[in-house]
Amino acid sequence: MKFTLNWLREYLPTDLDAATIAARLSMLGLEVDAVQPLCPDLSGVVVARVESVQRHPNADKLTLCDVSVGDAVKRVVCGAPNVRAGLITAMALPGAVLPGGFTIKPTRIRGEASEGMLCSAKELGMGDDHGGIMEITAAVAPGQPIVAALGLDDTLIEVDLTPNRPDCASVIGIAREVAAFAGGTLKKPVEKFPQLTGQGLPFSVQVEAVADCPRYAARMVRNVKIGPSPDWLRQRLLAVGLRPINNVVDITNFVMLEYGQPLHAFDFDKLAGGRIVVRKARPGETIETLDGTSRTLDPEMLLICDAERAVAVAGVMGGANSEVGNETTTILLESACFNPVTTRRTAGRLNMNTDASYRFERGVDPQGAPVAMERAVRLMAELAGGEIVPDGIDFCDGVKPPLTITLRVGRTCDLLGMPLDAATIAKTLQSIEIGCTARDSETIMVQVPSFRVDLEREIDLVEEVARLVGYNEIPTTLPLVPMRFPERDALRSQRQELAAVMVALGFNEAVNYSFVAPQHADLLGLPPEDARRRTISLLNPLAEDQSVMRTTLLPGLLENARRNIYHQQTDVRLFELGKVFYRREAHRQPDEEERLAAVLTGRRHPGAPLLREGETKVDFFDVKGVVEELAVRLRLPQLQMVAVTAVPPYADPDLAMAIMANGQVIGELGRCAAAVQKGFGIKQELFYLDLSCRALLALQAAPRAFAPLPKFPAVRWDVAIVVPEQVAAGEMVAAITASGADYLEQVELFDVFQGKNIGPGLKSVALAMTYRAADRTLDDETVGKVHQKIIELLLSRFNGQLREA
Amino acid sequence: MEEDLRRLHSEAHEALAAIRAPQDLEPFRVKYLGRKGRFTLLMRQLGQVSAEERPRLGKLANDLKVALDEALVLKEAEFGAGAAKAARAGEDLTLPGRRQPFGRLHPVTQVMNEVCAIFEGLGFAVAEGPDVETDFYNFEALNIPPHHPARAMHDTFYVNDTLLLRTHTSPMQVRTMQRERPPLRMIAPGKVYRCDSDITHTPMFHQVEGFLVDRKVSFADLKGVLALFIGKMFDPKTAIRFRPSFFPFTEPSAEVDIGCVICGGSGCRVCKHTGWLEILGAGMIDPEVFKKVGYDPEEYTGFAFGLGIERIAMLKFGITDIRLFYENDLRFLAQF
Repeated sequence: MKFTLNWLREYLPTDLDAATIAARLSMLGLEVDAVQPLCPDLSGVVVARVESVQRHPNADKLTLCDVSVGDAVKRVVCGAPNVRAGLITAMALPGAVLPGGFTIKPTRIRGEASEGMLCSAKELGMGDDHGGIMEITAAVAPGQPIVAALGLDDTLIEVDLTPNRPDCASVIGIAREVAAFAGGTLKKPVEKFPQLTGQGLPFSVQVEAVADCPRYAARMVRNVKIGPSPDWLRQRLLAVGLRPINNVVDITNFVMLEYGQPLHAFDFDKLAGGRIVVRKARPGETIETLDGTSRTLDPEMLLICDAERAVAVAGVMGGANSEVGNETTTILLESACFNPVTTRRTAGRLNMNTDASYRFERGVDPQGAPVAMERAVRLMAELAGGEIVPDGIDFCDGVKPPLTITLRVGRTCDLLGMPLDAATIAKTLQSIEIGCTARDSETIMVQVPSFRVDLEREIDLVEEVARLVGYNEIPTTLPLVPMRFPERDALRSQRQELAAVMVALGFNEAVNYSFVAPQHADLLGLPPEDARRRTISLLNPLAEDQSVMRTTLLPGLLENARRNIYHQQTDVRLFELGKVFYRREAHRQPDEEERLAAVLTGRRHPGAPLLREGETKVDFFDVKGVVEELAVRLRLPQLQMVAVTAVPPYADPDLAMAIMANGQVIGELGRCAAAVQKGFGIKQELFYLDLSCRALLALQAAPRAFAPLPKFPAVRWDVAIVVPEQVAAGEMVAAITASGADYLEQVELFDVFQGKNIGPGLKSVALAMTYRAADRTLDDETVGKVHQKIIELLLSRFNGQLREA
Repeated sequence: MEEDLRRLHSEAHEALAAIRAPQDLEPFRVKYLGRKGRFTLLMRQLGQVSAEERPRLGKLANDLKVALDEALVLKEAEFGAGAAKAARAGEDLTLPGRRQPFGRLHPVTQVMNEVCAIFEGLGFAVAEGPDVETDFYNFEALNIPPHHPARAMHDTFYVNDTLLLRTHTSPMQVRTMQRERPPLRMIAPGKVYRCDSDITHTPMFHQVEGFLVDRKVSFADLKGVLALFIGKMFDPKTAIRFRPSFFPFTEPSAEVDIGCVICGGSGCRVCKHTGWLEILGAGMIDPEVFKKVGYDPEEYTGFAFGLGIERIAMLKFGITDIRLFYENDLRFLAQF
């Protein structure tokens, strides 16, 4: 809602300046978005009268003008087509700075002196008209500063209204709020208006849908002369961004801004049968609205019709077929109250948002129709020479009686946490025309004024009291609550634990949008039956690449990797902890699963000096190490990585493993397949892991328990075995561990080697065994026996040979 | 005996002072202070001294030995720096250290954790809920029926006519109240979605919604709890003001502003020259919401509040474009 300070002062004389009013309104809940001068600083630009015009001796299109600026006559060179003797216009004198930053100086143009510049509206930032210099019709004296002369010495204030305050979508409504803190009495343009009986009129109104149209008032004005509005009215509209059209239409817009009551003027001669019928649209019915668009209607929409056809979309926009034009002589003026939900539905379906629908959707004053209409017809008589037909129609069957609400003083005090007495509360509410009658010291009977459609319950009044008293006057206390431990969200706790491990391993956390491109499934090469193709689509995405809910975190991370590599950040370690969404049957919420995914590519030691760690790149065992570290840190020894034959389509088949726990696959890791990398635009080798947090959370972590520190030293015995190259070293370690050999504390692989000393098809696997006894230092003889058994096991199980030292 | 001790002492000190090279220190130590050194040998003779003299001479011998020890340490130190340098000759100490990779949490996560920790410290439980919500929980139960103008305040992504992407984490208020009885104190952190995208809006962002319900909870209590939070999150001296506003699920409703953390209230571009920054929406839970979950609004009252995490992160870190949060550029992530 926009208005100007001078406009506001017409209804509430106040000395408060715009900044103060803006600050106080904001603290009343009417948040002021902007306070700015109505027009730019134009000092040095004055009203000028062109006294005489003669041709420039050296230029065809230029003229030499003698211009009166009050006490002096100036010689100016002008190129405007509309310059003529007697024209009142604007002149920028030397020293003036125009809105574009151009400073006016005395100059010579083609040899002739020019002591300033005659200006167009556009050059002064007062409009778009650049066809010629300004033509001022108002009676203003030459020499006056232009801003003051045109009444533009004003301040524009813009309020960002909350949806509950349609009463403030009017300058009078704002003035009422200002009066609450500035004092003073509102001066309303219309104090009295006639009761409309509907008798003996040349028109009729029939409301078929009373619930959608609780009130419909109509009056007639004859013999209007359509023409431009006077300057003051044009300026009011221009100030708030409305384009003046003609006097009648401008009056309806002006009164809407003044009272908050949308009005519509019909050309009565274009209404068939002199009838107005308010009804729901018929299926397939169409109307061409004032903006020249043909619109197809549906039976949910409310129409204003004449005897034959639709002439307006109720509360939204008039029809072209009954538009007021230059030839119009008789006006039928509509001032109605339409149901907010009906209007919202209609405007929504037609995708129209007008000043009228804005107000009806939020609720106009059901008692406001006759007052605003009286104001409008009087202005039509005054400004368009019309003759007001004395009576009119006021259908108001749907208007509900005014509301009386009981407000309890104790309840108000309890809710606000502040002591207030009945008298204070009543006085506070009365400051904005809310009627109060104290029944006793505890109870106030509140009569809600009709324009406050948002006040329906006691709590609404409590808010009014709080708002008017001032939120910052309410004390600050702390609630008395029982001591207790807050419950934590298990997923959230786990997420923090996982994130801590990933961060310690050098990964930065990424956060990607939950909605992604539908092509991701194809880019990953997912087969048709893959669950990750069961995506949920948005009905109204902002962009195609944000149109489905993600079912995997990997594509987002791959895109992040690509972006970073593109920006020369080639050592990428990123992880994301977030939800994926699997579709279930329609109208059921999807299955939302939290997952951990990570990508790593580039150098093994990102951020480390090149001198130290060099250009060594990550390989599969770096990502495998991440999973091992997660298993250790989360105390989940049951987590295992298993090479599988069925690798996902986006993995390199030779470098992919499944992460398993208790026989279930709960995640995967591997090298990204070359074709998939190409699809994502990544050229360098990249590894990934992807893990279900829900599955992890279901696992039982090993207890955090103390193991006594060993008292006796351990001994390490090594062995190197030559085995066929297809033997998996991990299985050798597993076999030793599973043998349950005495004193064996740890088995560690320390070398895997193939070469000419070993023989073709063979490899050497070197293992370090750590032995320890809990109660004594082990002697060589004891260790030797155990060690020999292990060697024999390896030789027989894996077809090995002991490698010569 | 005493004379022998003193003579040895002065001889040893003279010998020590004469040493010019570090490699001569060890032979000196062996000669005087070693297991078969002259001090040791002399001290062995203490046994032959009379019983009344022994304590005094014993102490003297010990003091002189300690003094020599210290002198030797000092002498070593004299050579020390140079000796160490000599031992590591050729090492360029300006070379970089060996750094281990260490990642960082996303700035949104960092701020989210900070906000949650403050409320957890005040005894608030934490619960997360579904991102894809029903119209009922996101709107209707929060007193936003279909065709309510407030729906225009939430540019909603729809999945179908009953499912949508939650526009706030307030649905957790309803889900929790349906399940539990007061007293309740809870915050609901999470992702929220609105169809809006420009330099200050992303279609997904993060919010923390919180609420407290009990008997006799007042608007003054709401002010108190939020003042505690703001003092902890920013600075205890941060100016705070409450402005009336409108949310369908609270009444009275408030916007909470803090004194601009950039300019300190004198007016700057970030605060649009008002000196204030809007950081929170809050209010007393509307009786209609209580009725939807079967609480008697005459018995229970409560407050709710919600804040945007990105907004706070932008203020705390001076980030000027919200879209940076979702580009996951390492050069951005590594700054926090």
